[in-house]
Amino acid sequence: MKLPSLLQAMAICATVLPAFAAGFDAEISGQAAKSIPIALTGYTGEAAQVLKFDLEVLGFDVVPAAKAQFELKAGSGAEVQGTLVDTGNQHPLFARSYPGGSVRSQAHTLSDDVVKAVTGNTGIARTKIAYKADLGGAKEVYVSDYDGANAFRATEDRSITASPAWVPGRLALLYTSYKGGKPDVYSHDLGTGARSRVFGFNGLNTSATVSPDGTRIAVVLSKSGSPDLWVSNIDGTGLRQLTTTKEPESSPCWSPDSKTICFVSNRDGKAALYTISAGGGEMRKLSTGGILNCTEPDWSPDGKWIAFTRAAGEFTLYVVPAGGGDATAITAGEDPSWARNSRTIVFTRGRDRARRLSLLDVPTRRVKDVNRISGSCSQPSWAR
Amino acid sequence: MNCLTKLGLIALLAVVAIGSGCAKKPKNITPIPNGYNGSAAPGSDVSQGGALRGGAGAGPGNGGRFTQPTDTAPRDLGVDPSKAAGSNELPSGNLRDGKIEDRETFKGNTVYFEYDKSSIKSSELAKIAAVAEHLKSHADASLAVEGHCDERGTEEYNRSLSERRALSIRERLVNLGVSASRVTTEAFGEDKPADLGHDESAWSKNRRGEFILLVPPSLK
Repeated sequence: MKLPSLLQAMAICATVLPAFAAGFDAEISGQAAKSIPIALTGYTGEAAQVLKFDLEVLGFDVVPAAKAQFELKAGSGAEVQGTLVDTGNQHPLFARSYPGGSVRSQAHTLSDDVVKAVTGNTGIARTKIAYKADLGGAKEVYVSDYDGANAFRATEDRSITASPAWVPGRLALLYTSYKGGKPDVYSHDLGTGARSRVFGFNGLNTSATVSPDGTRIAVVLSKSGSPDLWVSNIDGTGLRQLTTTKEPESSPCWSPDSKTICFVSNRDGKAALYTISAGGGEMRKLSTGGILNCTEPDWSPDGKWIAFTRAAGEFTLYVVPAGGGDATAITAGEDPSWARNSRTIVFTRGRDRARRLSLLDVPTRRVKDVNRISGSCSQPSWAR
Repeated sequence: MNCLTKLGLIALLAVVAIGSGCAKKPKNITPIPNGYNGSAAPGSDVSQGGALRGGAGAGPGNGGRFTQPTDTAPRDLGVDPSKAAGSNELPSGNLRDGKIEDRETFKGNTVYFEYDKSSIKSSELAKIAAVAEHLKSHADASLAVEGHCDERGTEEYNRSLSERRALSIRERLVNLGVSASRVTTEAFGEDKPADLGHDESAWSKNRRGEFILLVPPSLK
């Protein structure tokens, strides 16, 4: 790298990165970060729509060129093209063309490149979410792009289907279905359509989640006489009971190294977060700085944070350091699920069976609704 | 699905069933061997082809009940009611097998709960006692207890809480002398509200346990 471009790169770092890297942790627990002004020049129709949505979700503000720190300029080709310029020095960061696929997919790929060039982070614009949709009677699991586009109904059981969870790195889900009359856990390969029942014991079988290394399942079963936390191999074999409380456990999630499970227990009367070794041992209460009624934990993929829902009349999203500490209220809503960037969260907001999915940019606190299918949506799970 | 795949799946689920019987034994609890509910076939439905496949039409029993016979017959373990808190494993067979569902008989016996609680209120004890008496005089019948919540908790929290409510009712029945092997539980969380309203009047009706009597066809 020549000296001038190195200096330019350093200048970019000095002006932009604090909001994203060095200051990121502070911004989760403190003041909201500033958004980055960017201009989109020459884009129309779907490409313009997609770029604006993607960049706003990741903490950018789309503004006129005169007020922008970066400008993204369209090209003249049939496919989506983009030249990203630092408006301070007119230095181009990249100039690329995106042939192939749909306009949506081209625009998503370009916005991922902008995010990468400006922040250094891997984009999320081409990831998928799964969720539960209440269609007024039947409750089915849907899969869509992270922005709600290309929604696909994965189940048509005309029953209750709930608690979808992605198998890491695969186009496959675990979920709870009542198609057998009671809650059982199924594994569903979205590539082939093959389904199999993984847990079908009497009583409750629910909240199954796969470890990030793909080898084990954490699940809530009541076959021992109380809703307890269990762990099995990925195929359901080698089942082992981790908790033996009389009070209910719920909503297990995994640490990124697949060694620890965070979950909810009412052992001490009120819902609180606990951690336990996936191999067994004592359950330990996670300090949330005096916040009570904590449910639905989700561990960020970088291992630093646990997002959860405080359910006390209203639902509020909180974030707490993974080792415990003071929890920070982020926004109204429930059931957070982190994207792979450990920055964006998909969650549920709204009440009264008219719920919708929204995307939260944790550092800037910005919330944008996911395109909605008909029905009341909840229990989102972000593929990662 | 070809035969080999099918055999493989059945073998896999057989391993699931065996493995599950070997779970580590927690203290004060007597696990039930072979507790897997149902055979492999009902749970493993498959459709083929296409890029992204739903479970639509994938096998029998959409919204229905598992009706295949199980390898394991329910049996009375002779549970000591004094140890109810530690000896409440659910029965191993499917109590619904071949039974007819009767939601009317105990319609007036629905048990209601306090917000975020699974303990039985004293006002509800007589309703459970009446169910226990009926079961004692109808030896062929068994019972499903459905647990439900209001919408104020989060969804999976409610699913576990509703199961705990159903289990509290079941424990009470066992304490009153009903065999534990005759009562199963079904947790619905907030997914089947009795009242669609969004106030305390509706919520108080939704925090409930319902009794579904399961009777052999010949008695109906």
